Amino acid sequence: MSTLDMTSTHSRPVPHPKRSLITRLHMGTGVVVGIIFAALAYYALKSSLLTYTDKVADPLTPHTDNIVLLGSMFAWSIGFLVGIGAFIGPWRWMIGKDLTDEEILYMAGDGQGIKRYFKYCTDHKVVGIQYLVGVMTLLGVGGTMAMMIRTNLARPGGHFVTATVYNSLVGLHGITMIIAMIIVATGPFGNYIMPIMIGAYDMAFPRLNALSWWVLFTAIPVLCSAWFLGGIPTGWTAYAPLSVQAGPGMNAFVATIIIFAVSTAVAGMNITTTVVAMRTKGMKWNRVPIFVIGSTISVALAIPAFPTFMLAMVQTGLDRTFNTGFFDANMGGSGWLYANLFWIMGHPEVYVILIPGVAALMEIVPVFVRKPLFSYNAAIMGFAGIAGLSVLVWAHHMYIAGWAPSLNGPFMVTTEMISIPTGLLFLVLIGTLWRGKPWMKLPMLSVFAFIWDFLIGGITGIYLSDVPADGYLHGSMYVTAHFHFTLMGAALTGAIGGLAYWYPKMTGRMLNERAGYISFWFVQIGFNVLFLGMFMAGAEGQPRRVMDYAAVFAHSNMISTIGAYGVGIGMIILLWAVIHSWTKGTIAPMNPWGAKTLEWTVPYPVPLTNFDELPVITSDPYGYGKGK
Amino acid sequence: MADHIEQQLAPTPGERTAIFFKRTDVVRTSLLFIFWTAVFVVLGVVFYPKWMPLVMSTELKSAEAIMVWFTVISAPIAGLVLAITSNAFLNMHRGDTPPPDGPAVRTNGPVVAVWTITSLLFALVAIIWGLTEMNGQAVAAARDAKSAITVEVTGSQWLWTFNYPAQGIETHELNLPVGVPVVFDVKSADVNHSFWPVQLGVKVDANAQVTTVIHTTPTKIGAIDVKCAELCGLYHAYMETNGAVMSKDDFNAWVTAQGGHNA
Repeated sequence: MSTLDMTSTHSRPVPHPKRSLITRLHMGTGVVVGIIFAALAYYALKSSLLTYTDKVADPLTPHTDNIVLLGSMFAWSIGFLVGIGAFIGPWRWMIGKDLTDEEILYMAGDGQGIKRYFKYCTDHKVVGIQYLVGVMTLLGVGGTMAMMIRTNLARPGGHFVTATVYNSLVGLHGITMIIAMIIVATGPFGNYIMPIMIGAYDMAFPRLNALSWWVLFTAIPVLCSAWFLGGIPTGWTAYAPLSVQAGPGMNAFVATIIIFAVSTAVAGMNITTTVVAMRTKGMKWNRVPIFVIGSTISVALAIPAFPTFMLAMVQTGLDRTFNTGFFDANMGGSGWLYANLFWIMGHPEVYVILIPGVAALMEIVPVFVRKPLFSYNAAIMGFAGIAGLSVLVWAHHMYIAGWAPSLNGPFMVTTEMISIPTGLLFLVLIGTLWRGKPWMKLPMLSVFAFIWDFLIGGITGIYLSDVPADGYLHGSMYVTAHFHFTLMGAALTGAIGGLAYWYPKMTGRMLNERAGYISFWFVQIGFNVLFLGMFMAGAEGQPRRVMDYAAVFAHSNMISTIGAYGVGIGMIILLWAVIHSWTKGTIAPMNPWGAKTLEWTVPYPVPLTNFDELPVITSDPYGYGKGK
Repeated sequence: MADHIEQQLAPTPGERTAIFFKRTDVVRTSLLFIFWTAVFVVLGVVFYPKWMPLVMSTELKSAEAIMVWFTVISAPIAGLVLAITSNAFLNMHRGDTPPPDGPAVRTNGPVVAVWTITSLLFALVAIIWGLTEMNGQAVAAARDAKSAITVEVTGSQWLWTFNYPAQGIETHELNLPVGVPVVFDVKSADVNHSFWPVQLGVKVDANAQVTTVIHTTPTKIGAIDVKCAELCGLYHAYMETNGAVMSKDDFNAWVTAQGGHNA
């Protein structure tokens, strides 16, 4: 995309295109313009819809409040992007021009220090840090909600929060964590590290890279507004018709998902194109680092998956505003239509979350065991097999929905088949560990935790996918425990391992080891206590998403709550370590782990275009080990 | 650190096998394998039956059997994974410099093949087991259709209502005669709910405008908890009621007391 002569950037003075609007726009102007747009939309819609307000008796009258709120939310998002200067480039194209070289260099944030993190900055390393901070914020918010949920459930009859607040906590915890987990590895590491790993100057579409982050950013205040609009009563699955009858907070959920889907489409397209088109000379497909393969398969899987969720939310929005009745059985629609659209996204989505986490750990193991990755081909077959099968299993979430019971058998077959490619991922990890002496550093610890957690998550998934067992377990706490073992125990553990591993390259400093170890044990022990307790509650027959329960579940819930506080303490320590080490940690050498991938061949701070001269690759990065 | 792999003569197949299956590692891993397999067998066999409620139908029995036996069958696989992992953990290298390089094993064809075939067989066992159980339940339901009593279940925010058309009664508690097959016709008056008589081990969603059906046969006398397993709004947690599986005489007496007539 960039037309710069890359080799001469270092000799240039810091550019400052004096008369360009670009230099004056930043996050602050974005917020101001966003609020102005939202306010204009609010008053325009409110006044133009006034005529409808006195016809409440007619069931087909539009719901003016929902129209006004949804319109204002989308106006905020667009206004913010206008205000931060996202559309300056496209505008220039429309009038037959483009940005000048100076402006492009300015947009890349060259020589602007910390300010560039608050601008529409096209440097992939800046976008990576923005994603990292965004992910940590979302995880912090979602984790706090989880603590409140567990506090309410500590004892039967607990009324730490009201029923409305509790239901909102359940839904907002869910969607906040899902959004955070979708971007947890591909956001920070996929943007910051991956282009360097493949030997590229930048991403394929730097301006779209900035767009993907700032679009996502506009979704965060929208999601938070749900809280002030009365919350959401539906859980993160937002099943219709409950979502259609829900109060004004639901509009925030609808708008968040639509905005987020745009962000993932842009990011997915950008990452896929970068990996396909911008690998350096000699990096054939069988020499690409496994993290790059995993992230690419993950985002490529997201590209077809998310539009169905977006569509389902557009329809929910229409049902809520213009009474279209897509999901209302009383008007000829169907709640099953919603469930299908949701899970056609929902099941690929869990693998979109899982695969980058596993891939990060596969990058870590060979370095710390000093052995080649065991069976690189099996790893790729595992990822590709999971991605391929994952689009054919969605209705295992609907075994007991009553929809097409004769399809339960076929969906059970595809679901159980997923254990085969998943088994290959285990084989690659244990094959690499076999006969090795693992170097016990923070990133390596995550590998051990991952194997234990994902094993439990995987085995419990095998019973859940068997229809007769699901008839008992579906919708119980058992399911909640199962998917937390896979999404948190496996995917988040992988991402934390990735953070410990790439932290020196992203911040120039080592992550505080002592705090890292303490945090690791608090989180992992707490996590296992928490969710083993929840398996117990589910097997005993406690439904999920309940704010209260019978006395028979008191022990298992108490165990879970104790474990949850352990996780909470551990995560706070980790957060402290990340923030503290960022400015006060020991200075990291260029290649602290002795790894062979390309990101460790560049200094910190990584130069604007990563490499002075693109490297040439002659082998894959796993050439460790003695011949004998 | 060497920048390139040292060029050496390729080892013979026999040497390669000796490198891959080094005796000390094999012995230690085997012991750990026995330990972890035993742990998983005990977890499955002891804890699930302990945690699960009183089994009052063939459906719950079959769900419990899947949970117990799948754990037992998968125990050797989990045992192997954890044995290799914990063996590596015990071999850990500490300190600020990387450990010496390990053997440069890039893959091992037979190991990958055996692993893949084993996981395929395991998946087939799970699939065949599940399909056989489903088929058995479908056959039983068809066979029992004539002798079954029908209960029409309606979920509404946040209440269960049970209508016994043949007996002509409507209640909010679910009482059933033991040993008599029962068909639940489930629907919703508003949003989605999920009808879950816990001790009977079956579940089906309640949807507006459509009737969903499940079958079961209570096999034991005892109390039933009926819960809602699909988030249905504000008081989802409290959308529960009681009931019982009772002897036929008790059931008939209860129907009469409710003002119904015995079919």
